[in-house]
Amino acid sequence: MMKSLFLFDMTFWLYLAAFVLYVVYVFVRRTGSQLVAAGHPGGESFEDGGWASQIGQVATIITIFGWMVNTAALVARAMERMANSGTFAPWSNQFEAMAYVSWAIILGYVLLELRYRIKTIGAFVVGLGFIAMGAASLLPYRYQTADPLVPALNSYWIYIHVSVTLTSYAAFAMAGGLGVMYLFRERAERGGAASGLAAALPDLETIDELGYKAIMVGFPLLAFGIILGAMWANYAWGGYWSWDPKETWSLIVWLIYGAYIHARMNRGWEGRRAALYAIFGFLMVIFCFWGVNFLLSGLHAYA
Amino acid sequence: MNGKQEAALEQTPAKQSAPGLGWNDVKGELVECFASLKLAMFLFFALAVTATIGTVIQQGEQADVYIKEYGEATYRWFVRLGFTDVYHTWWFTSLLGLLCVNSLTCFSQRFPAIWRSTRQDKVSVTLPFIKGLKQSAEIAVSGATKETVAEGLIQALAEKGYRVRAHKDAGVMTVYGTKGIMGRVGAHVAHLSATVIVLGGLIGSLYGFQEFGVWIEGQTYHIPRGNFDLRIDKFWIDYYENGAVKSYNSTLTVIDGGKEAVQKTITVNDPLVYKGIWFYQSSYGDSWDQVEMARLSIKDKDTDKVLTTVDLPWKQEAILDTLGLKITMTDFVADFGFNSTEKTVFSKTVEHANPAVKLTVLERQRLEATPWIFYHLPGLYDIPGSKYRFELIGYQPKKFTGLQITRDPGVTIVWIGSTLIVVGITLSSLIYHRRIWAKVLPADSGVTVVVGGTTHKSQLDFHKEFTKLLGRIQTFKS
Ligand code: HEM
Repeated sequence: MMKSLFLFDMTFWLYLAAFVLYVVYVFVRRTGSQLVAAGHPGGESFEDGGWASQIGQVATIITIFGWMVNTAALVARAMERMANSGTFAPWSNQFEAMAYVSWAIILGYVLLELRYRIKTIGAFVVGLGFIAMGAASLLPYRYQTADPLVPALNSYWIYIHVSVTLTSYAAFAMAGGLGVMYLFRERAERGGAASGLAAALPDLETIDELGYKAIMVGFPLLAFGIILGAMWANYAWGGYWSWDPKETWSLIVWLIYGAYIHARMNRGWEGRRAALYAIFGFLMVIFCFWGVNFLLSGLHAYA
Repeated sequence: MNGKQEAALEQTPAKQSAPGLGWNDVKGELVECFASLKLAMFLFFALAVTATIGTVIQQGEQADVYIKEYGEATYRWFVRLGFTDVYHTWWFTSLLGLLCVNSLTCFSQRFPAIWRSTRQDKVSVTLPFIKGLKQSAEIAVSGATKETVAEGLIQALAEKGYRVRAHKDAGVMTVYGTKGIMGRVGAHVAHLSATVIVLGGLIGSLYGFQEFGVWIEGQTYHIPRGNFDLRIDKFWIDYYENGAVKSYNSTLTVIDGGKEAVQKTITVNDPLVYKGIWFYQSSYGDSWDQVEMARLSIKDKDTDKVLTTVDLPWKQEAILDTLGLKITMTDFVADFGFNSTEKTVFSKTVEHANPAVKLTVLERQRLEATPWIFYHLPGLYDIPGSKYRFELIGYQPKKFTGLQITRDPGVTIVWIGSTLIVVGITLSSLIYHRRIWAKVLPADSGVTVVVGGTTHKSQLDFHKEFTKLLGRIQTFKS
């Protein structure tokens, strides 16, 4: 067994642990917040007393550690690839791509936590990183190995085109996770002001805004990724655009998010609607990433 | 987002239109419709949905493929609706065209105002306007003069990278700061470049071409579109250690005006470009009408003993003195077929399903024969009166390389548009447009600062920045 597979495995367990801790964190805060006097507008403006803050800290540390192991796994995989085929991109098959996406999701999450200091998002977003890593390890073993690339993929374009596109998927995953979070909080609010869950999560406006930001990160990245793919195709297939299902689907996803950013400008497309739309958009991303490979045929079918 | 305030700020005075339904009204309506975000959203969705059709139904296949899968009646509907070639139907291209018209109209309607505001802004606003902004506050600063507070504000905003302007009238200081207009310029760059990309695509489809050719090693071909010749020097395959294919390679030489102009080894990801024509490695295979060499075994007809084996090069005579034989391989087919009306032999497919060579045999200067010898059917053909039987026991196929030849004069335009669209969207994603107004009013024991701000998005970050600014204002004591 390759060294990288062991590290990928370890990443999976660390993300699982972090995810569980974040969920516990939300619940501890929830009971804690019921003791705090009502009327705090800012979601996490009150101090986490005792347990909650410690659990939160541990969750963050484990997440960061998991991300470092994830990084090490990708580096180890890159070296294994280098050794047996002379190319290093550690995102050259479905398994590696999933591992890379979870890496990007967690990186995005850690940056978000450091900047906005909102830990409860971890319960939703680190969960996605964990699911991505888990789904990857469910793939049959033959998909997990570092087989050499088929000729069409054996190109330096794979480094940049694939990583950029996958990073945009991670941003959309983040937006989807925040969308789910929004619905949770909204539901809790409807349950009455006394509900602790509502107070444990940041306020709706913040979640909404962060979700939008995530999409505004994903949108240009996906555009860039699609264009890099077109440039690659221009070198490999004799035309920059051939309406192959994969490239068409990435365009569809891009159009879906394009509709979203313009819809937001018209007002009304904030809040609940935006949250639902972000979840829908993310489902389309999943289809583009998995569904197309397994359900539709085309030039990208070997990916 | 506070769209209403934004709209109020950007409103250009409404043009007075004459009563009645004149051309100007119709034009105004049309422009409004084409500039509307509603149409934009409709188009984004419509394109997304219609593009899906082409990923579910295979595109550009032969009729029988569809009939087998969907049935005759459905197929007829597919053809009527263009579902077998969605991306070239009039309705799909019209949607794309409309998106261009839509974004261009949007650009021409909105961009001028944004451009103007990069140079001149509305500094003097009313007090209620500031108070009505989403972020606003009123702060009393005691023991300070208007001038020092205004100075402090100007400095605080300038430090944050704001472009600041101040205005003084009737004893009131107004300070205005703006930042991040490039974010909105970026959005409009994206709007323009979408059309540039579509235009490049259009030019490519009108003036470009795409062909596929099968080329045999060692031959030279004329490329009429470029008026030069192309020689196929070599084709080969590289393998990984585990036997998987690593790359397909062809060495090509361009001969222009009788001189060797360029030589290049192309692989799947690395085409040859000459005079705007691109040659891509796209497939390969074994030739179906010639071979490099064939191996015969020659048997004694009576004893069935192998007398010798001989390697025949393509179309070259081999002389076997000991047996009194002269043999030439004159023809090859990969999948033997016989046209009984024309009495000709041909290869039914390009597969090597039933390979056969044709020989010309001269035995002891007397007996001449031209038999077809089959790889899978030894002994099928018997030369009457001959001592020998010929069997084809192997051959070395001649490789062909499948090249795609393309010219696309629109491709540069597509790359320019692509670069601009990425730059534009990235700018609009990273930078957001903010404006802050502050009025410094005299008060009993110092001044009162009424400050308000608006942002085109990113409320959260703006709120942070605004709160910091408020904290700073409180320190302005002289
Ligand atoms: C064709 C592809 C298009 C792309 C790539 C595109 C891209 C963008 C981007 C990235 C933004 C900035 C969004 C933000 O800051 O949140 C934007 C804003 C906008 N778009 Fe588009 N857009 C497209 C088509 C259209 C069309 C057809 C319309 C027609 C009405 C339109 C109208 C607008 C308007 C009004 C804004 C706001 C501009 C401002 O801030 O002043 N867009 N667009």
